[in-house]
Amino acid sequence: MGIDLSDLVEPRPCSLKDFKARAIAIDGYNALYQFLSSIRQADGSPLMDSKGRITSHLTGTFHRTANLLEAGIKPVYVFDGKPNILKAGTLQVRRQRKEKAQEQWEEALKAGDMETARTKAQQTSKLTRDMVKQAKDLLNYMGVPWVDAEEDGEAQASYMAQKGEVYAAASQDYDSLLFGAPLLVRNLTLSGRRKMPRRNVYVDVVPEILKLSEALGALGITREQLVDMGVLMGTDFNPGVKGIGPKKALKLIKEFGSGEAAIKAKELDVPSFHNVRKIFLEPKITDDYTLEWGTMDREKIERFLCDDFEFSGQRLQSAMDKIAEGQKTRAQKSLDSWF
Amino acid sequence: MFKAKVRPEVLKEVVDVVSTTVDETKITATKTGISIKAVDPAHVAMIDLTLSKGGFEEYKADDVALGVDMDKIKEVLRLAKPGDMIYMEHDEERNRLVFKVGNITRKMSLVDTTGMSEPKVPNLNLPVKIVVKTDEIRQGIRASESVSDHIALVANPEGFEMISEGDTDSVNLKLGKDLLEELKCKEETRSLFPLDYFSSIFKTISTASVVTMHMGSDYPVKLEFSIANEKGAVVYLLAPRIESE
Repeated sequence: MGIDLSDLVEPRPCSLKDFKARAIAIDGYNALYQFLSSIRQADGSPLMDSKGRITSHLTGTFHRTANLLEAGIKPVYVFDGKPNILKAGTLQVRRQRKEKAQEQWEEALKAGDMETARTKAQQTSKLTRDMVKQAKDLLNYMGVPWVDAEEDGEAQASYMAQKGEVYAAASQDYDSLLFGAPLLVRNLTLSGRRKMPRRNVYVDVVPEILKLSEALGALGITREQLVDMGVLMGTDFNPGVKGIGPKKALKLIKEFGSGEAAIKAKELDVPSFHNVRKIFLEPKITDDYTLEWGTMDREKIERFLCDDFEFSGQRLQSAMDKIAEGQKTRAQKSLDSWF
Repeated sequence: MFKAKVRPEVLKEVVDVVSTTVDETKITATKTGISIKAVDPAHVAMIDLTLSKGGFEEYKADDVALGVDMDKIKEVLRLAKPGDMIYMEHDEERNRLVFKVGNITRKMSLVDTTGMSEPKVPNLNLPVKIVVKTDEIRQGIRASESVSDHIALVANPEGFEMISEGDTDSVNLKLGKDLLEELKCKEETRSLFPLDYFSSIFKTISTASVVTMHMGSDYPVKLEFSIANEKGAVVYLLAPRIESE
């Protein structure tokens, strides 16, 4: 989930074209969960092949990545490694929520309430190790690199953006800003028409860009202070203080200068404050990866998606044509190579 | 402080060149003239434009940075009738640029320049130098556009070639040494470029009859041409495509 700063900062709408020839590090799990929860049939069940294996994550990985490649973008997916011990609480809550949603989904189906069924079904999305492996295989066939993070994928993506190896970190969460990504892109893998949750309304979703320096400038704080705000509000790694949302957190930080001072002055109870802070300011990252964008292997993609997972050949061909077009323009160098 | 009077065609040259690369830019004005450095969003092309005081009819400035939206200046340019002059003055208090053309006064709010970083100009070692008539290159571009979306620029001690190869057709513009204004080339170099970028920058060249090109193999090309009847100059860098990839 991550922290929600949407009340405080306003991302700028942009288009995929703005990222032409640029590398972008995508939060892999975040993207796969999106695919899994949004790519579903009318009754809410995920797409499956005839053997009952879920294929929503592959449909998403293939077609959404194809869109990016067509635009001449160089995506790299970054997957979470072992979760930090402090994330256990969040993961437990998510697990329970999924179990509950599963029950409600089944009830809604029995009652014939399709709208609720779909909503509840989306909340049951569970990624298995096999599914992640399949997505990685598919990326290999598409010539798209991926990185296994030490801990948090967003931390790793932000690190790569800080180093300048990628232009931006892409995620729906704002946590990348706390991790220090100079540029955050939202909606990258879900631009296009999307159904609004719980309403029968479709909206056009466009990518949004958020610059860390601008966000900090607008809020009038430093990155450390932003991290402190996050820890007070609650993150994936701590529950935060009840009653403190983005606005209140900002006020406290501005008034007292730091999270520590605010906690002292207001006698707040924030367990593991320093440890959580450290996760954002000194995250565990790895340098053990190479970023190389190859060209797709049409035959392997076809064998994997059509023969193995029963995708329709025709749609696949046209998507692969788009990829080929995009990978051709990628031969365009940027001037950055000569600085 | 910034206060200037300029002929519309001079301002148009500046705006046309800059618009090939960015929508908004920072104009740096000093006592001696203005300069603009800008990189396009994909970092494929860069311009480094200077226009000296002499390019203006009247000019007075202390060091100041003005963030301007090119489309807005184009709107002002459309108001100019033949023989009109354009007056510009920076309203520091409200951070606006006030334009006067004919009987119209346009007060233009400026773009915040704090987020606009000054792009670094790469230090390139380009062994080949060619000076060629602008019209020759334009003709080559025109011929290539129907054939492919990229062109190869090739130089050797004998001359210069512009080659465009499509799936079925090809175009070749060959200019021997004698048809070039200048040629400095010890061994053959070749680089491939996106035709749309190349074409759009050549469309903006209006008063320069010759263009200087500095090239290497699989290296960016550096174009130099004058604007405002040699009262200003543009350096344009364009990154190559890599053929083997």
